[in-house]
Amino acid sequence: MSSNRNWRFLLSWEGLLTFIVILVVLINIRLSPFFLHGDNLINLFGVSIEKIIVALVMTFIIINGEIDLSIASIMGLAASLAAWLTEHGMDFSLALVCSLLAGVVCGAINGFFVAYLEMPSLVVTLAGLIAYRGVARILLEDRSFTGIPPWYNDLGTQPILGQFPLSLLIFFALFVIAFIILHFSAFGRLVYVIGNNKDAALMSGVRVRRVKMTLFIASGIISALAGLLYVSRLGAVQASIAEGFELDIITIVLLGGVSIFGGTGTMVGVGLSILLILSLRNGMSLASVTGNTQSSIIGLILILSVLIPNLAQQANQAWKRRGYLSRPKEAPISKEGTL
Amino acid sequence: MLRPERLRELSLVIIIFAVLLLFGTQIDNYFNPRFFRTITSGVMIIAVVVVGETLVILTRNIDLSVGSIVGCTAYTVGRIVADNNSISPLSLILIAIGMGALLGLLNGVLVSYGRVPAIVVTLGTLALFRGALVEFSGAKSVTTSTLPVWLNDLGQINLFSVGPFDFRILVVPAIVVVIVFQLVLSLLPYGRRLYAIGSNPEAARFAGMPARRIVMIAYVLCGALSGLAGFMFLARFGNLTVVAAQGMELQVVAAAVVGGVSTLGGSGTMVGALLGAILIEIIGDSLIRLRISEFWKDASLGVFILLAVASDKIILGRVRDIAARNQRRLEQTPTQVAPQPKAQKDSAHVQ
Amino acid sequence: MTSQAKQLALEIRGISKRFDATQALDNVSLNLYAGEIHTLLGENGAGKSTLIKIMTGVQLPDQGEILLDGQPIRIENTAQAQHYGIAAIYQEPMTFPDLNVAENIFISHQHRGAIVNWPAMYKDAEDILSKLGVKLDVRSQARGLTLAAQQTLEIAKAISLKVRVLIMDEPTASLSAHEVLQLFNIVRTLRDQGVAILFISHRMDEVFQISDRITIFRDGKLISTDLANEVTPQSAIRDMVGREMGAFFVKDKSERGNLLLSVKDLAKEGVFTGVNFEIYQGEVLGFAGLVGAGRTDIALALFGAAPATGGEITFDGKAVTIQSPHQATQLGIAYVTEDRRGQGLVMPMSVAANMTLPMLRRYLNWLGLIRHRAENDTAEEYRKQLSIRAESIQLQASKLSGGNQQKVVLGKWLNTNPRLLILDEPTRGIDVGAKAEIHSIINKLAHQGMAIMMISSDLPEVLAMSDRILVMREGRQMGIFNREDATQETIITAAMGRANEVETAVK
Repeated sequence: MSSNRNWRFLLSWEGLLTFIVILVVLINIRLSPFFLHGDNLINLFGVSIEKIIVALVMTFIIINGEIDLSIASIMGLAASLAAWLTEHGMDFSLALVCSLLAGVVCGAINGFFVAYLEMPSLVVTLAGLIAYRGVARILLEDRSFTGIPPWYNDLGTQPILGQFPLSLLIFFALFVIAFIILHFSAFGRLVYVIGNNKDAALMSGVRVRRVKMTLFIASGIISALAGLLYVSRLGAVQASIAEGFELDIITIVLLGGVSIFGGTGTMVGVGLSILLILSLRNGMSLASVTGNTQSSIIGLILILSVLIPNLAQQANQAWKRRGYLSRPKEAPISKEGTL
Repeated sequence: MLRPERLRELSLVIIIFAVLLLFGTQIDNYFNPRFFRTITSGVMIIAVVVVGETLVILTRNIDLSVGSIVGCTAYTVGRIVADNNSISPLSLILIAIGMGALLGLLNGVLVSYGRVPAIVVTLGTLALFRGALVEFSGAKSVTTSTLPVWLNDLGQINLFSVGPFDFRILVVPAIVVVIVFQLVLSLLPYGRRLYAIGSNPEAARFAGMPARRIVMIAYVLCGALSGLAGFMFLARFGNLTVVAAQGMELQVVAAAVVGGVSTLGGSGTMVGALLGAILIEIIGDSLIRLRISEFWKDASLGVFILLAVASDKIILGRVRDIAARNQRRLEQTPTQVAPQPKAQKDSAHVQ
Repeated sequence: MTSQAKQLALEIRGISKRFDATQALDNVSLNLYAGEIHTLLGENGAGKSTLIKIMTGVQLPDQGEILLDGQPIRIENTAQAQHYGIAAIYQEPMTFPDLNVAENIFISHQHRGAIVNWPAMYKDAEDILSKLGVKLDVRSQARGLTLAAQQTLEIAKAISLKVRVLIMDEPTASLSAHEVLQLFNIVRTLRDQGVAILFISHRMDEVFQISDRITIFRDGKLISTDLANEVTPQSAIRDMVGREMGAFFVKDKSERGNLLLSVKDLAKEGVFTGVNFEIYQGEVLGFAGLVGAGRTDIALALFGAAPATGGEITFDGKAVTIQSPHQATQLGIAYVTEDRRGQGLVMPMSVAANMTLPMLRRYLNWLGLIRHRAENDTAEEYRKQLSIRAESIQLQASKLSGGNQQKVVLGKWLNTNPRLLILDEPTRGIDVGAKAEIHSIINKLAHQGMAIMMISSDLPEVLAMSDRILVMREGRQMGIFNREDATQETIITAAMGRANEVETAVK
């Protein structure tokens, strides 16, 4: 499957994405003159920064041939844990550190079952999705925690460099780092190698388990970080925080041209796909489309992003077969030939 | 020698009894009629959906949209009957099943003919169906006061009682569905092909099976059963909002996995899936009654899936090894075709 | 072939098929008669598998037609092929591990009634198997059956479909000699019942043992079709390669250096026990034995992929326990796997990326980023040194021929400067020309002082290339022979254990 998508196709997929991004931006500008306004553009990134950050690490995981459905629950768990610890008298900054550690633990649990017990990541992280959210519910039950210190509340929106909020800076920094790691580092190479052929990697002396473990732990800590950033923006914590985010995140990655079977995809594609999803969501918000309908549309895009290339490929194959099929039928198919 | 799947079912039964015993010593008056009613009415809806999910998982696919399908049909059917109280029960049930089948068809076509991975399709339709429901419902709710009397009563009708334990009438469709589909799996060519496709998709293609159609039908059946469950959901609760049955897919997949349906396809039974659903329901409800916190239910569910799959891998892997070894031993014994009758002495020792 | 009038089973007329630049089949015509075993011979890429794919409906021909009973038929998928009585058995059997033996046999029967009649199915399955003279528990799962048993299952499946033409694509590649004998008995039974059998194998001795007629392919063209007794191995090879082949490459004497590896009572529970041997630098230690005798398992234990459970390994004077391929690589052990496609190469990635994979950290700068220039230099160097025929080292590994892929795997491991090189079936599935090249590389490496452990089921290869030969049987070491003392007969006797059975196998 993966070998079908060669470099040329990827380039054209990215070309297509660029084209669509421009199209959506133009439509947004026409729909609302407010779109190009500086505040809106910052808002564009600001409101989805958590998802974008996690999408970067999810790119690695899917290229590696795995999936992590538990990210949103880890976000929720990290946020809830920070709230619970503060409720129980811990200093808030210390609580943040503990929450990040909790992210590491969750990631390590996922990684252990996937890498060492060799269980399918879909099942493991589905269980994680339920369990980590469950722990968040145990901690906060149905309370809403609002005792976040003001300095933290401001963090997410505070301009540091000119107009840019901190979260935006974090995103750009992480994007560049992720790009370099995926495409230029040994680790990135191993991620691709394992995604393409795990056995060959193992038999070449690659420490496959360690790579997978590292990825899931990274996913855990980044998700926790994203959850805490989300808290700084929302100003309140509930156990259900970030619920359902996995849909958007996986959509971003797959729309970016990363194959769900692993082995192919580029960070540039994911970057473009981030821009596309953000402008779409932003445009829909400006056009006052409700959140649920937005999710619906994202779900549709998720399916279409895989369906369309598939259909194109099938059409191509059918075209090739036709060379034979279109010949005149010289003889009827004999039904008598069987015994 | 026990077959692996029989062993699985047997161990589930034992675990269920062990869990009941354990909680029985911790909770006063544990086995009361009310507890029995909670369990049966919880299981009956999940069981119907889990049967559909099992059909899909057997083919090495997954359907994460079942919660949304149950919610959509329950709500839609509720609105239909609220607007038109005179509609007959049978046509209402048929509408629910038909609508579910239609949504399942969309999943099935995308997975089998669009060749989009099941996880992508159903994660997408999970959001799509729910979003569409919210959009078109105008965020209104279905309430018992708008429903016809027969529908409100349906959930309370007692079929029969064993001592103080009541069997509600809605248990019937669940039991019928489990039995019928267990028979489909073990006796109909269609059921055997589900196993075949999940077991070795490439070989299924080479054997000339219409694999795409078979997978698509599995999705349609899963949708139809979810539709039926949607009707049962409406009958049980009466009051519905647009988020009805949200997250049910997690319980359903959990029940199937705990019940021994392998996510790698090709193995599992309906009986096992039902036992899985019962076990999960018992543990969830018992934890609530332990009065620690009702919020423990979800966390324990996640842990259970992990334990089930891990034990599957470790214990059943060993059982299968032993079975394979026995088969090999048999295979190594000489037959009339073997060139030399003496062959037995050496070859019988191979592994 | 019987003396009675030959009845035409299937007629292939003027079939051509083109894939992009290569003409896979060029106007091929072939007749298959009922009750004959017809063998296709040819190097990899000669067009045999394309022909099979067309006959089974996996691919459609560009030109030409297939006639059954004089009527042209169109085969567009496997179901249609089965409908016409054409079935194929592949090297890797297509069984369903979760279904039981009986179901596997009858899986393709679309019309066995609306309800599965289990007792009848078990009985029918037992009947078919007993006709083949095979004993299997029809009620147990196919999971865990040996390859040989799975092949038998495939044949039973074909029989249940009332097959007229049975295609067998390298069915013996992974079978032991004993299992091959059993398989051949079954095949002959089928032939006598009037089935036309199209047989493909790379093992010359087998071909002459079983065939009635032999057809030779080269570069997509049909070169010749003759009665088997009119063909000699020499003439067959000449037709396949298009030129006379010189004698088999023979390793010349290399100097034995220091002791590198010694293994004492090595064991893995249920797989092999009591293995003792030494390998010196500059020496090739051949491993002979039947498939499944434990040779690959020893290699996997030494490479840490499936660690041993008992015994001692001394490498370069130090006692070691090898727990992972990573550790083995660090020690200087390299393993060229028998499964090139599945474990040797990352097919969609470039030749260069494959080459540097085990030693990636050598190509990193201080930031942990890959120095592509250094990587490419290395790849170019091995392309020249091993004369790998690839347009560019940036080409995907999947685009190379089998022989060149094998050289990439070799290059990948040579780049780690291994002290011990383990070769597992280094020339299996590789055509005659590339085979000789690989043999000469092995020869050169031994001269450079590398210790080489070579597992091979190709007996002439083992005899020609090894300094000493270790023979395994059923997980036990049967002895180590010096090259001077080893003959085909002594090796086979040790590998199979009984003289009378050996005779049949050698014949």
